[in-house]
Amino acid sequence: MNGASAIEVDDLSIGLRTRGGGAVAALSGVSFDVRPGEIVGLVGESGGGKSMIARAIAAMLPSGAEVSGRIALGDVDLLALSEKQIRFHRGTDAALCFQNPRSALSPTRRVGQQLMDRLVRWQGMEQDEAQAAALALFQEVGIRDPRRRLRAFPHELSGGMCQRVMIALALACRPKILLADEPTTGLDATLTRDILSLFRKAAQQHQCGVLLISHDVAAIAEVCDRILVLYAGIFVEAGTAEEILDSPQHPYTKALRDAVPDLDRRASVPVGGTMPRLEKPPDACPFADRCTIADAECRKALPPWTERQANHFVRCIRPDTDWVALADVGHAPERSAPGAATRTILDLEDIEVVYKSRFGRGGQLALRGVSLSLSPGETLGIVGESGCGKSTLARVIMGLISPTRGRAMLNGTDITRMSRPNLRTLRKNLQMVFQDPVGSLNPRMTVERNIADPLKMLNLSAVEMDRRIDDVLHDVGLGSAFRDLYPRRLSGGQAQRVALARALSVDPKLIVFDEPTSALDVTVQAQILDLLRRLMAKGDRAYVFVSHDLATVRNLCSRVAVLYLGRIVESGPAEAIFDNPLHPYTRALLESAPSLTRATRAESVVLARDLDEASPAEGCPLLPRCPFAQGECSEPQSLRRGNNTHEVACWKVGS
Amino acid sequence: MITLARTTGLARASNAWHRRKPRSEISKPLIATGTSILALVFLAAVFAPLLSAWGPEDIDFAAFLVAPGPGHIMGTDGNGMDIWSRILHAGRIDLGVALSAVALAVCVGSLIGGLVGYIGGWVDEITMRLTDIVQAFPAFILALTVSAMFGSGLINLTLAIGFIFAPAYIRIMRGEIRALRERTFIEAAECSGNTRLQILYRHLFPNALTPLLVIAPLNCGWAMLTLAGLSFLGLGVPVPGAEWGAMISAGAADVVGGRWWTSIYPGVSLFISVLAFNLIGEGFLERSEAM
Repeated sequence: MNGASAIEVDDLSIGLRTRGGGAVAALSGVSFDVRPGEIVGLVGESGGGKSMIARAIAAMLPSGAEVSGRIALGDVDLLALSEKQIRFHRGTDAALCFQNPRSALSPTRRVGQQLMDRLVRWQGMEQDEAQAAALALFQEVGIRDPRRRLRAFPHELSGGMCQRVMIALALACRPKILLADEPTTGLDATLTRDILSLFRKAAQQHQCGVLLISHDVAAIAEVCDRILVLYAGIFVEAGTAEEILDSPQHPYTKALRDAVPDLDRRASVPVGGTMPRLEKPPDACPFADRCTIADAECRKALPPWTERQANHFVRCIRPDTDWVALADVGHAPERSAPGAATRTILDLEDIEVVYKSRFGRGGQLALRGVSLSLSPGETLGIVGESGCGKSTLARVIMGLISPTRGRAMLNGTDITRMSRPNLRTLRKNLQMVFQDPVGSLNPRMTVERNIADPLKMLNLSAVEMDRRIDDVLHDVGLGSAFRDLYPRRLSGGQAQRVALARALSVDPKLIVFDEPTSALDVTVQAQILDLLRRLMAKGDRAYVFVSHDLATVRNLCSRVAVLYLGRIVESGPAEAIFDNPLHPYTRALLESAPSLTRATRAESVVLARDLDEASPAEGCPLLPRCPFAQGECSEPQSLRRGNNTHEVACWKVGS
Repeated sequence: MITLARTTGLARASNAWHRRKPRSEISKPLIATGTSILALVFLAAVFAPLLSAWGPEDIDFAAFLVAPGPGHIMGTDGNGMDIWSRILHAGRIDLGVALSAVALAVCVGSLIGGLVGYIGGWVDEITMRLTDIVQAFPAFILALTVSAMFGSGLINLTLAIGFIFAPAYIRIMRGEIRALRERTFIEAAECSGNTRLQILYRHLFPNALTPLLVIAPLNCGWAMLTLAGLSFLGLGVPVPGAEWGAMISAGAADVVGGRWWTSIYPGVSLFISVLAFNLIGEGFLERSEAM
C-alpha cells in the first residue's frame, strides 16, 4: 500500500444490531486500497457486506452501526470526521452512484438543474459557468443532444440515460473516489457495456479511483483492474481481473464465476446453500459449509490471507486444488431440436399491440406484426433489449393484453377474442412467472395460500389440494416448512421458487417466464436455472422464456426469436442463431454479452445510440443504428429464410 | 440488507453513533396505554348502573348544585342530577355513537372507494367530484347542517357523523386500490383465474386496509368531539339526556359562578377518551411506518 492511494481502508469492521436485538458482523477486518485512475471491482453475493463498504466510505452507515478501523482519504481519517466535515467530504471527495438511478434522482427537478446545483454548491461556480460545465459533463457521459436533456425530468429519461446522469452528478463533485453500487444491474447487455466503459473513461480523465460493486463478476470483469471477492464480511480473494477469472484460487470465487452461464454453451453451475449470517467475526472459513473441498481443518481456524503471487491474495488453505480433475463440467443438456412438429400448442399470427396515449389520438406501437408458433416440449427464448416489446408479447400470450390486430391461438382457440369467463377456464393451461419475485406474490397471503390461489380453478378436495401444494413445494426445492411464511420473509430466490411452484401447481401446458432471474444474484440465478433446466427436460410442457440475457437463453432454449422494436428480426433453432447469427442486430447483441472466455470475434458489430433514441422508421427498424445500413434498408423488411434453418428480416441475408 | 435500506432515512454519520429506538418499540406503549384507558372508560360505561347510586336523570331535590362531597362524589348540576352517574351513562352514548359512526364511515367509505378505484373511468370521476363537494365544507359545519336537517336523535347523529367522515375513507381506499392495481401480484392473480370480484376482495382489499386502520382510531376521537360539539350547540343529544358535550354546555353558566364541577368533570372525561383514541391511532401509525 503506497501513499498515493485515492482511498485506503485499513482493518475496517462493522457490526450492526437487528431489530430483534441480534447482532450481525457485517464486515470483519477488511483492508484494501484504490489508487487514482484505478477501477477496483468488489464482488460477492447480497448480504456479503459490499454495500456496507461503499456506505462506510461515503459516511452513510445506518444508525447504530459499530465501526472500528480506519478509512484514510489522503491524510484524513473518515471515521473521525464531524457532521459538518462529512457533508463536505460527501460533496467533494466521495461520490456514490446507486443501483436504481431513477429513484436516486429528485423526480420534481430537471436533471440539469440538479447537476448545476452541485456545481454551484461544491465547485463554487457561477450560474452560467455551471451551465457550461453541466453541458460538458453531459457530453462526457455520452448523452446525445445534451442541451435538450439538461431540461428533462428523470421520468422522461430511460434507465440507461438516468445512470448516465447519475454518473455526471458524481463526476461533478470531482471526487477522489467514485463508488458505484450495482450500477448496471437491471440494464441490458448493450447498455451495461456502454455504462461500464464510462467508468473507465472517468477514471482515466479525472484520475479518480473507482470502486465498482457487483454480484456478477463476469459483467464487470472487463473494465476492472483488480477484483476483490467478499464473502460474509471478509475478503476471500484479491487479484487482477485476469487472475480472478482465469485462475481463481478460492472455491467461492470459482463458484461465483461458474454461476454465470456463458454464451459458449457452458451451463451455469449452481453452488448450494446460502451465505451464513454471522453474529461475530468468523473464526473458521465461512464458506466451508458450501465448499466441495472443505474438511475438518477448514472449520478449525480462519485461513490466513496469503499472497500467492505478486498482489494475488487468497484466503484458503487449499488453493492448489486441481479443479479440472474434480470438475464434471456439465454442458447444457441437448434440448430436442424442434424439427417438424406435428402439433402446435401456441400460434401467434400477426400480433400488433398499440398502447393508446391517454389524451386524444395516437399511441405507441409495442408490437408490429409478430408471428410465432410453439410445439409441446419446446422452449422458446424471446430476446432483445429493454423496451423492444418482450414483456408485451409475454402478456399477449397470457391473455393479459388484447392485441389491436392479429390472433393468438392456444390449442386452436383464439384467446384474443375470448370473454373473461372463457379465458379463465383456459388459465389452467397457461401460467406465468414474473420478473419481480417478491412483488408477484400477494403480501397478505402465506406461501400456501399464494400457491392455492390458481389451484382453486381445479375444484380439488381439501386433501388433494394439500397434497398438491406439498408436491410442488418439493419440486421447486422448498420444504413444507415454507407453507406458513409470508412473502416478505422470503429471499428473492425463495420467492421465485414459490412463484414457480404456483405456476406448476395447476400443471399447465404452457408457462411463460418474464425475465425470471434478472432480479436475482448470480448464485441464486444459477440455482433457479438449474431447477428450470431439470423441469424443462421432462414432460411435454411448452415454455416461453423472455430474457435479455443471451447466455441464459442459450442454456435453456431450443428455439430463439430475436425481437427488435416490436418486430421479430431473426428466429430459428438456438444453435443456429448463436453459432451463426445473420441479422446485424443479433450479432450486435451477441457481441455485447459479457463472456468469461473473452474471445474476440472476427467482425464486430457496434450499434449506434441508445435504443430510446432510435426512431422506428418505415423500413428496417434497425436502420438508424445499423452500421451496414444502405438505401435498400428503407424498404419494409419481412422475415425470409436465411438459410435452411432460420429466418431473418434483413434483405442483405441470402440475397 | 433490506433493513439497511429502510434505515437510511435515519442514517447518521459520525463516530458518536447515534441511537434511536426502532419505531415498532415506540408503538407498543402508545397502543397499550390508549387501549387500557379506553377499556376503563368502556367498562365504566357498561357497568354505569352498578357504579352509581343515582340514575342519570334522577333528581335529588335536596341537592341543587352541591359541591363534590360524600353524597354526590362529583357534585350535582343545576337540576339536582348526580354528575358522576351522568358522566358514566354519557360514556355509553359518546363511545357508542363515535364507534358506530366511524365503523359506518369505514365500511361504506372503503367499499365505495374500493369499487370506484377498481372500476375507474367515469364512475370514478363522478364519485371523486362528489366527495370533493362534501369535503369542500368544513366538517363541523357540515355535521351541523346535516343534523339540523334530519333532526336530532342518536341514529341521525350517527348517520350525520358517519356521512362527514366517509369521503376521507373513499379517497384513501381509492388511492390504495389504484396503486395496488398496477402491482405484479394482481397480474399474477389474473393469471391464477380469479374473477374481477375475487381479485377485488381477495387480493386488493386486504392489502389496502392498513392505512384505514391507522386513521380509524384517530377518527373515533374526532367523532366524539364532533358529537360533543353538536350537543354543546344544542343540536345533539337533547336535555335531559346525559352526554358529555351537553353537560359541558349546561354547566357552562354555573362555572362563571364558581361552580366548576358541572363542566370540568365531563370535560375531563371527554379529554381522556379522545386522548386514548389518539394514542392508539399514533401507535398504529408508528407501527405502520416501521413496517
